[in-house]
Amino acid sequence: MILKNNLKEVRQNKGLTQEELGANVGVSRQTIISIERYRYKPTLELAMKLAEKLNIKIEKLFYFEQE
Amino acid sequence: MLLSKKEISILIEIVYSIVFALIFLPYFYENQEKNLILMDGLVEKIIQIIICTVIYFAIAYSVLEVAFKKKETRDERDDMINSKSYKLGYLLYEFSLFIFIGYVCSKFQNKELLNLTGNIELYSSFQLTDAGIIFIVLVLLAFISVIKSIYQFYLYRTV
Repeated sequence: MILKNNLKEVRQNKGLTQEELGANVGVSRQTIISIERYRYKPTLELAMKLAEKLNIKIEKLFYFEQE
Repeated sequence: MLLSKKEISILIEIVYSIVFALIFLPYFYENQEKNLILMDGLVEKIIQIIICTVIYFAIAYSVLEVAFKKKETRDERDDMINSKSYKLGYLLYEFSLFIFIGYVCSKFQNKELLNLTGNIELYSSFQLTDAGIIFIVLVLLAFISVIKSIYQFYLYRTV
């Protein structure tokens, strides 16, 4: 199973840039890019912060996909 | 290829390690047959290394700060990348130190064996001086530092 996310779609729907979202949750733009490209798996703390800032349930933002 | 401030600071470290190795290691290589107390201009060389290091990093980081005025956030991804690269550096250092200790032990053992045969010329060639040990340790440190920084740079580009 691979951990995937809807971060890019949700962020774009909210009209936020990667820079703005990163600043809101205290991480760099590169970290947001890496999460959106599934290169980096965030810690539970960061995942919860992202879900809270984007006003979405964490299980809707991050999900497992069968390989 | 656009590079971030963190990536450029890693490149600064890589350049420093390579330049340090190319400029200062030949001095220790040339003097490795001697004991530390007999090395010509050792204190001057150490002072030179310290001054050059301070000037290099002061200029490099000042230019970097001017070029990237915006402060970059340090976050969990940086911590993950740093811990991975430092772990590799630590493992390499531990492994090379293990090999180095084995090398020193075998050299001493061979030296003692040669002493029994009475071959003075070969016996002298197995001399391991403190300057020789310092040279090998410096080479290892420079090599490991470059490998660690390259791996760190690679992780920044791919993770």
